[in-house]
Amino acid sequence: MQQLQVTDLHVEFGGLRAVDGLSFAVEEGEILCLLGPNGAGKSTTLDLICGKTQPTGGSIRLNGTEISQMLEFRRARLGIGRKFQVPSVYRDLTVAENLSVARSRRPGLWSALTRFSLSDVRETEGILERVDLSSKREELAGNLSHGETQWLEIAMLIAQDSRLILMDEPTAGMTIQETEKTAEIFRSLSDSHTLIVVEHDMSFVRTVADRIIVMNRGAMLAEGSIEEIETNEDVKTAYLGH
Amino acid sequence: MTSRFHYDLVALVIFTVVIVFGVPALMNYDGFELNTFARYLALAIVSMALALSWGTAGLLNLGQAATFGMGSYAMAMHLKLRASNGLPDFMGWNNVPELPLIWMPFESLAFTLLAGLLIPAFVGGLIAIFMFRARIAGVFVAIITLAFLVAFQLLVIDQQGLTGGQNGLTGLAQLSLPGWTVDPYSMGFYYLVAGCLAVALAVGVYLTHSKFGLVLRAIREDADRTRFFGYNVATYQTAVFCISAALAGWAGMLYTMVLEFASPTYMGVSFSLAIVIWCAVGGRESVIAAAFGAIIVNMLEGRLSDVFVEGWHLMLGVIFVLVVMFMPRGIYGLLSELAAKLRRAGRQGNAASIDPSSKTQLETGQEQ
Ligand SMILES: Nc1ncnc2c1ncn2[C@@H]1O[C@H](COP(=O)(O)OP(=O)(O)OP(=O)(O)O)[C@@H](O)[C@H]1O
Ligand SMILES: [Mg+2]
Repeated sequence: MQQLQVTDLHVEFGGLRAVDGLSFAVEEGEILCLLGPNGAGKSTTLDLICGKTQPTGGSIRLNGTEISQMLEFRRARLGIGRKFQVPSVYRDLTVAENLSVARSRRPGLWSALTRFSLSDVRETEGILERVDLSSKREELAGNLSHGETQWLEIAMLIAQDSRLILMDEPTAGMTIQETEKTAEIFRSLSDSHTLIVVEHDMSFVRTVADRIIVMNRGAMLAEGSIEEIETNEDVKTAYLGH
Repeated sequence: MTSRFHYDLVALVIFTVVIVFGVPALMNYDGFELNTFARYLALAIVSMALALSWGTAGLLNLGQAATFGMGSYAMAMHLKLRASNGLPDFMGWNNVPELPLIWMPFESLAFTLLAGLLIPAFVGGLIAIFMFRARIAGVFVAIITLAFLVAFQLLVIDQQGLTGGQNGLTGLAQLSLPGWTVDPYSMGFYYLVAGCLAVALAVGVYLTHSKFGLVLRAIREDADRTRFFGYNVATYQTAVFCISAALAGWAGMLYTMVLEFASPTYMGVSFSLAIVIWCAVGGRESVIAAAFGAIIVNMLEGRLSDVFVEGWHLMLGVIFVLVVMFMPRGIYGLLSELAAKLRRAGRQGNAASIDPSSKTQLETGQEQ
C-alpha cells in the first residue's frame, strides 16, 4: 500500500527552484534512499514532507490525506518523524530526558500535566542499550561526542515511533562499525516503519535501500534499484558535473 | 530526574519549615516584624511564578506586575466594599452615582477569590494565545508584555471612578472569614501567607518535574524541534502563562491584605523589573530559588533603603548587572556548580585512596 504520495511538488526560495516538479511514492515498510549532489534539494524535500517548509505548489498525501498545508505538529501526530542533517537534540537536557520528550504518544497538555517527566522513558527501555548509550542516561546531551549525538537522535526517532521516518544523513561522522550498526538498526526498523533516508555513503545505501531516487536541481533524475542507479549514465554525468 | 526531584522535595520541606517555624521564632513572634516578612513571602510567590514562565519555558514576561495588580485590586475591591456603607467614598468624590456593575460581584468573597486567580489567568492566556499562535518568541515576548503592562497601568489610573486612580484603593476592611477576622499583624495571618507560599512552591516543584515542565524546557531550547515531536508548542506556552498569571494574582491578593491598600504602583514598570531581578538573583531555573531571591533582595532593601534613601534603586540596578555578569544562573547556579565540584572532588578522592593506578591516571589527565 502507498503510504506517502508526492505529486508535482514545487518550492522556490527567492527565484531559486530548490524543488521543481518532484513526484514519487513510498510503499509501507519500504526503505527509500534519496541521493544527489550537494544542493540537489534532498533536505528541502524532507522539509516539505515534515512541514518545516511550505511548498509553493503540488501535493503531499499521507495515507491518502492531504498534508501539504498542515502545521508540523499535526503532521508529527499523523505519524511523520524527522531526523535533521545537523543533529538536533536538546543539549541542556539529559539523554533520558531527550528520550522522554521524543516519546510523544500523548502529546496533549493534560497528559503532560498529569505525568512525571520521565514516566514515558520506561516504555522505551532497550532503545538506549541498542545504541550503546545506557551508561550515559544521566549525562547532558551537550556533553556527548558527535557520534553519540547522532545515536541519540536516532534513538529519539525510534522512541517517537512514527510510521514514516525521515532521516537526513544519519551516518555522517560515524565510524565504519557505527555505520554498519546503523544499517542493521534501520533494517529492523523497516519491519514496522517506512523510512526515507538521505545518504552519501554508498556502501550504507547498498545495505539498506529497497529503492533509490536520485535528485538533481530539485527534480528526479533517476529511480530504481542500486544496480540500475550505478549503471545509469545520467547519474554519472550529474555526479561528475558534466 | 529522580535525584533532582528528591533534592527539590528536601529543599521544599526545609524552606517550608524555616518560614513557618524558624522565622517567627527569630522575630520573637513580633507582629510588626512578621507583617514585614509576610510581605516578602507574598512577593516570593510572584517571583516563583515568573520562574515558571521565564526559567522553565524561557518566556520573559515583563507584564507580571499587571496580573499581580489584578489580584491585588480584586481583593481590595472586596475589602473596600466591606469597609463602606453603600457606595465607596472615592466614588462619591468622583461623582459616580451608584455602584458600578463590575464592582457588584465583589461583595462575595468566593467570587473575589476566584476572580483574583481567574481574571489574571484569563488575561494572561489571551495575550499568550495572540503571541504564541503567531510564534512570537525571545525579546518580542518581553516587549509585548511590557507594552501591555504600561497600557494597563494607564487604564487603571485613568478610570478614577472605578479604581481610585492614582490614589488606589485605601481605607480597606480586614478580611473576615467565617469565624476569623484576619488581622495582618497577627500570627494567624503570617501562617496564612507562609502556607500559601508553601503550597504555591509545591505546585511549582510538581510542575517543573512533570512532563509538562520537561516539554517546556525542550521548547525553551528548541521550539521548532519540539513541534516535530507532535507537541503544540503554543498550547504549552499559553498554559504556563495562565498558571504563572494565576499565581501572580494570588500573590497580589495577599499583598493587598498585608499592606491594607492597593496602589497602581503595583502595576508599574519598576515593580515588574524588580520581580525579574529577584528571580534572577535567586536563580530562575528553580521556583524555590526564585522565591528565596525575592526574600533576600527585599530583606536587603528593607535594611539598606533606610540608609540610602534615594540610592536604593540604583543599587538594585547594580546588583542586577553584577548578577547577570558574574552569576547568570543566580544563587541557585552558584550552589549547584559548587555541589557538582564537591561531588567530583569526592569521587576523585575516593578513587585515589582505593586504587593507586587510578591516581596516576588522574595525574596524567591533569598534565594534558
Ligand atoms: N530556507 C532556504 N532559503 C533559501 N535557500 C534555501 C533554503 N533551504 C535550502 N535552500 C537552497 O536550496 C537548495 C537545495 O538545498 P538542500 O539543502 O535541499 O540540498 P541537499 O540536497 O540537502 O544538499 P546537501 O547534500 O548539501 O545537504 C540549495 O541551493 C540551498 O542553498
Ligand atoms: Mg541536505
